[in-house]
Amino acid sequence: MPVTGQRERGTRMDKIARIDMGAAGGPKVTVGDLGEYAGLGGRAMTSLMVAAEVHPLAHALGAENKLVISPGMLSGTTGSMTGRLSVGCKSPLTGTIKESNAGGQAAQVLARLGYAAVVLEGKPEGDDLYKILINKDGIQVIVDNSLKLMDNYPLVEKLRGEYGDKVAYMTIGSAGERKLLAASIACTDPELRPTRHCGRGGVGAVMGAKRVKAIIIDDAGMKMRPPKEPEKYRDANRKFVEGLRKHPVTGEGLPAYGTNILTNVLNEAGGYPSYNFKGGQFAGSNNLSGETQAALEIERGGTATHGCHRGCVIQCSGVYNDKDGHYLTKQPEYETVWAHGGHCGIDDLDTVAHLDFLDDNIGVDTIEIGVTIGIAMDAGIIEFGDKEGAIRLVEEIQKGTPLGRVLGSGAAITGKVFGVERVPVVKDQALSAYDPRAIQGIGVTYATSTQGADHTAGYAIATNILKVGGDVDPLKTEGQIELSRNLQIATAAIDSTGMCLFIAFAIMDQPETFQALLDMLGSFHGITMTGDDVVALGKKVLSAERDFNTRAGFTKHHDRLPRFFYNEPIAPHNQTFMMKDEELDEVFNW
Amino acid sequence: MQHTILDQSDVVPGLEAVALHLDSDQLSSFFPLLQKGVTVPAMVGCTLRSLLSDQLAIPGDYVTERITTIFLDNRPVDDLDRTIVRDRSRVTLSAAMPGLVGATVRRGGFYAALRQGISHVAGSGAASGESGMVRLKLFNLMLAELGPLILARGLILEQGELELLLKSLSCKPVGTSTNTGQVLLTVLFSELEDIF
Ligand code: SF4
Repeated sequence: MPVTGQRERGTRMDKIARIDMGAAGGPKVTVGDLGEYAGLGGRAMTSLMVAAEVHPLAHALGAENKLVISPGMLSGTTGSMTGRLSVGCKSPLTGTIKESNAGGQAAQVLARLGYAAVVLEGKPEGDDLYKILINKDGIQVIVDNSLKLMDNYPLVEKLRGEYGDKVAYMTIGSAGERKLLAASIACTDPELRPTRHCGRGGVGAVMGAKRVKAIIIDDAGMKMRPPKEPEKYRDANRKFVEGLRKHPVTGEGLPAYGTNILTNVLNEAGGYPSYNFKGGQFAGSNNLSGETQAALEIERGGTATHGCHRGCVIQCSGVYNDKDGHYLTKQPEYETVWAHGGHCGIDDLDTVAHLDFLDDNIGVDTIEIGVTIGIAMDAGIIEFGDKEGAIRLVEEIQKGTPLGRVLGSGAAITGKVFGVERVPVVKDQALSAYDPRAIQGIGVTYATSTQGADHTAGYAIATNILKVGGDVDPLKTEGQIELSRNLQIATAAIDSTGMCLFIAFAIMDQPETFQALLDMLGSFHGITMTGDDVVALGKKVLSAERDFNTRAGFTKHHDRLPRFFYNEPIAPHNQTFMMKDEELDEVFNW
Repeated sequence: MQHTILDQSDVVPGLEAVALHLDSDQLSSFFPLLQKGVTVPAMVGCTLRSLLSDQLAIPGDYVTERITTIFLDNRPVDDLDRTIVRDRSRVTLSAAMPGLVGATVRRGGFYAALRQGISHVAGSGAASGESGMVRLKLFNLMLAELGPLILARGLILEQGELELLLKSLSCKPVGTSTNTGQVLLTVLFSELEDIF
């Protein structure tokens, strides 16, 4: 699937910018051709580059690490849903390779400027703070110490005063500057709010270690990236959009309720972890559900349907207003509502929304921080269900107090500092809102993902159509290993295209929509794409990631869930995680 | 809006029946209740398909195409024809869900293996047929689409629950008391588009 060949300069995504933040005499920008990375984008670009260029034993916050920022292969085009931006590096949280992606406007804008990747390298001496301006005239790295320790909302407000509203901003809050391991990188949405985050794995800390506070991306004067076969591309995109609109998940459920539509269903399935994974259900789930959330948003003059970037036709996001009808935060996603809600014994959406705002503002991963607060509750620092206490703890992170720095370093560190035994992490990254004792298959992905526990690493991507690894009997137990493997392969490929993962359902159930996606990829690059090409790309990405992790010292023994999942059954199904170690070891055997 | 007290003791013996006539824009007021779960009278000991199609009168193609996620007592159901609904069973109806887990809990879905151990095991017990009650929950798209049908058919509420509901709808309290402490509530909406 990687595409090679001669490209024209301009709106082609045909260059890579490397910014050596540690260069003698100050940061130095070099713009070069794609070379061996030609045709790559998104996760394929970030992972293959990190695997090839970063020493696997490098300190993640040191000069040897690189932060690779890459739009997807179709970003910056007229194609729908193509606005995901990947950020990759060695993760300070997990020690593994990391790819973290987000929506927002940044991917589209960066791609239109022609950058297949912008790579932050090295590390400056001293404590000057920098902002990077990328526009049609090139790249400037500017010292701006007035931005020090600003959080994302006020930071973007300040930058807007200088650079206006027709740009995209990527920023870190105080958590990134302090190099906290849960720190995220925020990307602004179409309304210039810093609400879309490359959240997982501490990528914000790596940006902070390189002393880069903000990246301002301005595509004024640039055009959409032109497809090789414009008519075919237009036609394929039209069919793709039709497919998304007619499917009940992408055309109705997600637009109406967002991802939080899952709260009720997970709770009903007994797979909704509550009180730091002590239960599989939460009595207050109705108060947190997507149905309740959407009704409240509409009642308060917000909206339950909103796109995180222009060109999104699913629009799973929304706007959450406070009781007085003023903007509080974007619609919190299912995993965020769970992490701050049922996981902490809190059943109040206003509290969850407030915490979501604080997380976005400080610049931390909502899953990691929510899980961490639950661990702090388990440690007795505050009680489960203590709404004000939870807000206070997140404010500690904002203030940078010693307690805040511990909490901001995530679940694994907090569990160690406070002697908590039940710490739901794999490779030191927090599990998300799906209990692997109820949904065993997701446990396979949590355990074996190259990224640490990550519910999106094996998304439901059309493996039935792709036939990755041949036909699998889904009703056989052993099918779980194959399914997880296939899902991880397919997800790695889709993460490379710039497509939002939520297209999954339409392409899984509607072969014509999947074909439309292949046709978009093919006609854009003037090639014929098949499902096999997608599988080959996914395998290539995963193999590179896995190889990096092996060289970084990870073995099969790291591909395990914490022991309590094997020892503590949870209600209502009273089931433990039953997958055998030898079975888990087969996931990457292809 | 108005309510009447009807004698429907033949529907559920011993229960006072209350009928509400409301404007269609008040349908959403019932969503929290329906999402949490309501008790409906039903002939139990039947298959899940029979409950949905014959008793609740949900059209067959809607059941097949739209209600793609069903739980019986917390267990995802795959086979409607071999799943028996018992007295006080909890039946939860949902449209297709996003996410891997959404795909996993889907009825007869490709990823059903991933929920090994919690699926409802079909075919346990024979159908019989006696009167009883079922706890019914509606999620997401089902709320607006099936809510009117369920409400028109009637649900059993505790007297206190009914009074709270009437208060939230700005209706006068019913002011009756029953031996069982329960009432059968039916709700009809004016000018509601029939989706079936
Ligand atoms: S579906 Fe949601 S996450 Fe995906 S691009 Fe649209 S708004 Fe963003």
